Amino acid sequence: MAAKAPALHRFTRQGISLEGGIRFFFASNAGLTIVILVLIIAFLLKEGLGFFPGYRRELEVYRVAGLEFVDLSRGPLTSHEQLASVLNRAYYAEINGRAAKELKRMLESSELFNAYSEGVAPPRDLILKNLENGVDPNSEMLVQLRERFAERQARALNSLPPTPHLTIPERAALVADLRRREVTATEDPALVTVLADEYGAARQRFAEPLSGFREVIDSFESAGSDLSDLVMDMTETVTVTKEAIQRADILEKDRSSLLAAAANTKDPAERERLTADAEAALAETPDIAGPMQTLMARKPDCAATHAALREALAGITAKLPSSLTRPEANRLLQAAHKGTPILLAELAAAPARINEWRSDKPVPLSMAIRRFLTGKDWVTGGEWQDFYGILPLFVGSLMVSVVALIIAIPLGIGAAIYVNQFSARLEQSLIKPVIEFIQAIPSVVLGFIGILVLGTVLREVSQVEWLAWVPGFPIEERLNIFTAGCLLALMSIPTIFSLAEDALNNVPAAYAEASDALGASRFQTTFRVIVPAAYSGMLVAVLLGLGRVIGETMVVLLVAGNRIKIPDFSSGIGSFFQPAHTLTGIIAQELGEVPLGSVHYRALFVVGILLFVIVLGINATAHRFFNRTPI
Amino acid sequence: MRHPNNKMNTTMKYLTTLMTAAALVATSQAQTLSLKGSDTLGAKLVPQLAEGFKAAGNKNVKFEIAAEGSTTAFPALANGTAQLGMSSREIKDDETTFCRTKGIILKEHQICYDMICVIVNKNSPVSKLTKTQVAKIFTGQIKDWSEVGGAPGKISIYTRNTSSGTYKDWQKLAMKGRDYPSSSQKLAGNEQIAQEVSKNRNGIGYVGLAYSKTAGTKALPIDGVAPVAKNAKKFTYARPCYIYAPEKPTAEAAAFLGYIDSPAGQDIVRKVGFIPVKDL
Amino acid sequence: MQNPEKLIRKGLPRGHLKDLMVKLLLGAATYGVVIIALLLFAKIVKDGAPVLFKAEAPFVDFGFLLDKNETLHVFDDSQGVRHQLPASRYNEYLTAHADQPIYNEQTFSYSGGGIVGPIVGTILLTLGSMILALFFGVSAAIYLSEYAKQSPFIHAVRLAILNLAGVPSIVFGLFGFAVFVLAVPVLTSAPADRSLLTIPLFMGNYVISFQGWNSSLIAGCATLACMILPVVITASEESLKAVPQGFRDAALAMGATRWQTIRKTVLPFSLPGILTSSLLAVGRVAGETAPIMFTAAVAAKDDLPWESLANPFDLLSSQVQALPYHIYTLAARIPASEYTQRAQYGSVFVFLILVASLSFGSMLLRAKLRARIKW
Repeated sequence: MAAKAPALHRFTRQGISLEGGIRFFFASNAGLTIVILVLIIAFLLKEGLGFFPGYRRELEVYRVAGLEFVDLSRGPLTSHEQLASVLNRAYYAEINGRAAKELKRMLESSELFNAYSEGVAPPRDLILKNLENGVDPNSEMLVQLRERFAERQARALNSLPPTPHLTIPERAALVADLRRREVTATEDPALVTVLADEYGAARQRFAEPLSGFREVIDSFESAGSDLSDLVMDMTETVTVTKEAIQRADILEKDRSSLLAAAANTKDPAERERLTADAEAALAETPDIAGPMQTLMARKPDCAATHAALREALAGITAKLPSSLTRPEANRLLQAAHKGTPILLAELAAAPARINEWRSDKPVPLSMAIRRFLTGKDWVTGGEWQDFYGILPLFVGSLMVSVVALIIAIPLGIGAAIYVNQFSARLEQSLIKPVIEFIQAIPSVVLGFIGILVLGTVLREVSQVEWLAWVPGFPIEERLNIFTAGCLLALMSIPTIFSLAEDALNNVPAAYAEASDALGASRFQTTFRVIVPAAYSGMLVAVLLGLGRVIGETMVVLLVAGNRIKIPDFSSGIGSFFQPAHTLTGIIAQELGEVPLGSVHYRALFVVGILLFVIVLGINATAHRFFNRTPI
Repeated sequence: MRHPNNKMNTTMKYLTTLMTAAALVATSQAQTLSLKGSDTLGAKLVPQLAEGFKAAGNKNVKFEIAAEGSTTAFPALANGTAQLGMSSREIKDDETTFCRTKGIILKEHQICYDMICVIVNKNSPVSKLTKTQVAKIFTGQIKDWSEVGGAPGKISIYTRNTSSGTYKDWQKLAMKGRDYPSSSQKLAGNEQIAQEVSKNRNGIGYVGLAYSKTAGTKALPIDGVAPVAKNAKKFTYARPCYIYAPEKPTAEAAAFLGYIDSPAGQDIVRKVGFIPVKDL
Repeated sequence: MQNPEKLIRKGLPRGHLKDLMVKLLLGAATYGVVIIALLLFAKIVKDGAPVLFKAEAPFVDFGFLLDKNETLHVFDDSQGVRHQLPASRYNEYLTAHADQPIYNEQTFSYSGGGIVGPIVGTILLTLGSMILALFFGVSAAIYLSEYAKQSPFIHAVRLAILNLAGVPSIVFGLFGFAVFVLAVPVLTSAPADRSLLTIPLFMGNYVISFQGWNSSLIAGCATLACMILPVVITASEESLKAVPQGFRDAALAMGATRWQTIRKTVLPFSLPGILTSSLLAVGRVAGETAPIMFTAAVAAKDDLPWESLANPFDLLSSQVQALPYHIYTLAARIPASEYTQRAQYGSVFVFLILVASLSFGSMLLRAKLRARIKW
């Protein structure tokens, strides 16, 4: 078939048939790579470029319907709620700090009881269910079950968790209580109840001297209710408007697709029906101006509420105590003290922004682009408003890669130097296949290991008390940036290792010989001559490793924790132990569940374009260095 | 890129295309029943209904079940890639019109009720919550367990992914339409939420009633109403679940819908942990 | 520098300790990586091997390899005996013991039965994509190594190969989804609404509609083939170049045409090399998840791909299960417990054995080939 090239082709004209045809066939296959690359770029752009106009329209609706206006007030309200939460936490931290002993005793006793209950649960449930079904309590089956229960009970009693804060007689009493416990008993053991009551009493006792603080917090919280009511009220109005606009948009689109469908059908009856439907779909234009006018009429009200809240808060916060006795409580209180002026400033600035806001200010395309590239929120599928901000995903990808490279570079390059310079032949033939084997492990298997083994192990390690000095320990979430980074490091080590080793190998033997001849030791030769000569090759290795890490999907999807938020950098190194979401992960997670052609769908393609550009950029840089290698 | 290079490539593509096209024309005649949509329904209930349906003498019907979230049900129904759509929420206006433009009119079948239960770790001392507290926790206003009477510790919120019907229902039922805080973690299914909560002492999440008894977790009473089937009417976070079918379903789809409504089907519904429609 | 010898003697012992330290450090890094890799492998073998192997003959549990995937039911009967049954056997149990109540029932999706569906799916995907990739890849390599002279076209091709090799697999997933699932032309009588372009054929009602192949085996194969193409081209070109130039010169001198030379003297000698180095590509294709997530894979499917097909071509247009996607489902969608462990570690073990044997096979074959063929 290859010979049947088009009649007008120059090969045919020249009379070269078979040979030319074969050559042309092979050439076209080589061209296929170009076709694929062009297709990738073309289709990413085709699906992705539609995103910005679509997102612009969404932002326009956000403004025209007045949602943006409501968010102007919601911002300070949220800050107020956050501050109230900080104060509450300080209050409870103070009480719990003072009642720490009672708290620990209560927790330990209930934990011990829970462990026991879980241990005996299966036979206990069976016995209870059988009794409920009216089985004779003396039947052989129940006797057998009771035996099994006793067996489980003995085993459970032997493996109870430690209780360092209970006295030995207390623990003994509790264990004895459990040993005596009837199968059918439902109430908690005596000691558990007693300790819970003790804790309750302690809380009350310690709360009394803090009643002044409590009152301040309560008045702080209730001061926000006016603003909260106002925001709720406006929310309802604007959501109705937004829905009306969206429905009109959909109907308009449907009308055209119904008309198109009508034009395509051959059956006249069906065509008539579709046309009728399309005409029915022609909705009256939604009333935007009316609700907007009512909303604008509330501007003074809004500004006044902000001012009132500011005044009230300024009075209330002055009454806050300057310090608390427990360190954790004090830390939170100081945070609140620091946050107060920020909140007050925000409240002070709000009226001006509210008065300035106009619903008819145009939304340019550049705003959609800016909000995409610098937006800090990726909120999708919500009730209020969808935002597509790439920053949290980008930061997530970056942090995972940083962790991976920090681990992989020393290990990969170190291993390459060791294998190339210092190891015996036998060692080489052991190490090289193992590292090559790592490369063959599919990424989904590493993700699986991360989710089932590594995450849990790391968190358990982090809870060991003498490791508490490590920043970020104990880890809150099993799945986090660090766990994902560790696995990605393992994935990129083979790439870095083999390329770095090649680079070392490529250093001409003359260099080493010359160095030896000058009397340098083996180490001097290695670190002063060979390694510097291979620098650019090693840089290529690292860059290609980075390309591999950023483009990797399954590990981060499974292990990084999928929290779409820029990590809280206030905890320093500890922020690497927080969960994150990544550029690759978001595509894999959301592409399967978005409607085709929606703005969200297109947003994922733009993420794909970004990823494509980043990785190709890294690879291009790497190859530039590669070509520059002096040897 | 020179023009002729495309030629071979396209010829080959057409060849494969021809084969595939022949295949596509024939696909619709196969006796498979494809269901797409909600994870709440599709992960546990519907597979077991399907197994029961096959055991009840419909051995030759083949099932394909994909449970990625309610939002995926309607495009699949409209494109004809699914015969039945599972949804844990009601269909939205735009989805109805979307299906209508593809010539498909959907009919709603209420198959059961579900309660969304709030679960916490078994070792958490918190044993009850109020509706306001739940709203404040899930919107990020309450950040620490000590604020609701628990042991001090930062609350970890686990939610469903955005295409889930439960995700949106929860926003409406419990959070007054406000957004989830960005610190929440989105997980793919009910079982995953239950698993994370069971492993994290400071975790909280919401799951369907069928998943509320996972080991290591406990479901909390809300405003004093325990999340058990007999309280379905009183419980704040109860909702009906649906299967959507085209107006004229295929024979297998109709038979399957009939089976779900039958006493045998409703028995499975109860056993899996949902609430049969008739019980209300 | 009056006495250099003295200097060296003095210098050595002091630096020696430092040198030793550095060497130790480097060795520790190397063996650290090796040990981690071995530990990882050991963990999977420890938990996974008991699923597949058993103590008595025939030593392999074929049930796990050959049974279909089902939901696992775990329950106690009223005597308190715990049963673990896959759905089909569970229903048999219920009909056989209709009068006895059962307790504490738990169900675990995807955890019962075996994994024949995912295994078969992976084999089909790998076969299909390798056929496509080898056909196009080897042809392209022949052009590059036998016909090409320096030209802008060749330069562009090399640049494209280089760039394609770096594209992340998830971007190939997006590309496959946008092109093969949604845009390639098909011949149909009822074009879908999303069709980009329809060309009427004037034969019956048929039109060529650019609406894609849907999520299907063929779409997955095509996506994977595109992804692996640069690897295959590079490997094939290397093997072709390894055939001594003298062979070609001799053939051409005898009056053979270019094509005859390639067919009779170049290809026969390079084919073993091409095939062995492609084995490595096979391993990569079999292990990828991201490109098939949206183009071919499905989490649960009752039938094996070839069962209940109206005609054989349906095979290409049906979705398949695949081992990597199955493992993703097992890791992400179901909880870890003593009952799901069998399915989870068993699948990972089988998968790892499959992929590792492919890459080891490729390594061994390559070594053997190098030893045998000496020009």
